[in-house]
Amino acid sequence: MTTRTAMAIALKDLAIEWRTKTAFMSSLVFAVLVLAILFFARDATAVSAFDLAPGALWVTFTFAGMLGLNRAFLVERENHSLDGLRLSPATPTAIFLGKVTGNLIFVGVVELVSLPLFVVFYDIAIWRQVPLLLTVIAMATVAFVAVGTVLSAMVVRTRFSEVMLPVLLLPFLVPPIVGAVQITWRILAERPLAEMSGWLSLLGAFDIVFFALALLLFDAIITE
Amino acid sequence: MTRRERALRTVRRGTVLTVVALLGLVIVYVRALMFTPIERFQGPAQKIFYVHAPVAWASLLAFAVCGLLSVGYLFMRDRRLDLLAMSSAEVGVALSVAMLTTGPIWGKPIWGTWWTWDFRLSSTLFLFLLFVGYLVLRGALADHEVRARYSAVLGVMALALVPFIHLTVYWFRTLHPAPVIMKPEAPSLPGVMLVTLLMSLAVFTLLYGGFLTVRYGLAVLEDVRLEEAAHELS
Amino acid sequence: MNYPDNGAYMVAAYIVTAVVVVGYAAMLFYRSRKLR
Repeated sequence: MTTRTAMAIALKDLAIEWRTKTAFMSSLVFAVLVLAILFFARDATAVSAFDLAPGALWVTFTFAGMLGLNRAFLVERENHSLDGLRLSPATPTAIFLGKVTGNLIFVGVVELVSLPLFVVFYDIAIWRQVPLLLTVIAMATVAFVAVGTVLSAMVVRTRFSEVMLPVLLLPFLVPPIVGAVQITWRILAERPLAEMSGWLSLLGAFDIVFFALALLLFDAIITE
Repeated sequence: MTRRERALRTVRRGTVLTVVALLGLVIVYVRALMFTPIERFQGPAQKIFYVHAPVAWASLLAFAVCGLLSVGYLFMRDRRLDLLAMSSAEVGVALSVAMLTTGPIWGKPIWGTWWTWDFRLSSTLFLFLLFVGYLVLRGALADHEVRARYSAVLGVMALALVPFIHLTVYWFRTLHPAPVIMKPEAPSLPGVMLVTLLMSLAVFTLLYGGFLTVRYGLAVLEDVRLEEAAHELS
Repeated sequence: MNYPDNGAYMVAAYIVTAVVVVGYAAMLFYRSRKLR
């Protein structure tokens, strides 16, 4: 029952987004622009594209992702549909899982579309490392979306939610993003797995702890 | 005793505690500046340690208390826990300002640079920003019950974040001095300096307690005043 | 005098700390006046 409800909520959000594709397009264009600007905003003789690449990738993902997160609850604010959700038999857990799934799909698609662009702009050869790279991207995205979903649910009630979300979210992203960057540059530099195992464990532990915490805390946010 | 009278009593007690702590601070200042020897290789600037470390400890204590009270609030939904958590966060933010300014002032002569993205400095900066965000969130929510609930959620998440930030410290190259007190063997700080440090730690802990008590009392007074105003309108 | 001459930093740090502490205490005091 919970899974079906969650899926229904996720599909509803995605259907709404699919009609206009506004948020998706904005995030994508934003990602491309950030990648490009970061590439140009350096002394090309001193900083190679390869050195800049991991940081540029994760800054891009983080900010493009944040654009998408707000959308999930902003859509409920209009017409008070969040109250509708609350009154429905959907449990807070189902609502949370539904929102997280919708966000994961949204952010995931933005990331998957900008990844080839990243490869092209920064001239990175990643064919051998694709599975590992995708794993890291998935793990960091889960961290980002779990915390972001909880925070955006709270922040949607304030007047400046677009500004408040980054303000509250970014400190939480420091461990996962630092970890992701550390792992990514090692992947791109084709370092042995042993060198990144520590950071991978950190990222994994963060995912587990914060996903569980977000799930538990969401009840306190939704239930009045 | 009415709520208002109890709150006033809390403020009074807190004021006494704060005044005592401030006097203690004067004593610590005198002792650190005049009666503690100068470290040979680092010079007088090393003495910044006697204020920087305790103020850092006090602000981290404040944030930890806020986190724990947030957990408590989510279970007990007691308004007082929320007001106490908020007070602790505010005191923590104030003390963090001292920590984040004395840090670079210490760093410049000792490490040769105002700021390094050494992770311990960075992580205390992030904690500071997190709790400023906590206070900003509170400011943006009008309904008291929603505000208390949402702040508590943020506080709990912040509490869970701290160990992760700590873990990231150990895996990141760091310029921060190696732990001098909290080592398994005997502390490597000579006796006189150790006493000064411990005195300062005690004073700043007391100061945190005093500030917290006063701030909490004031928060309850504000709450009482709002209640009375609501009553008069109805 | 065989130690580095960085006393100014020490003074600055001690003053800053005192200013922050006393400043916050003063703010609390001022607020309590307003609330009485």
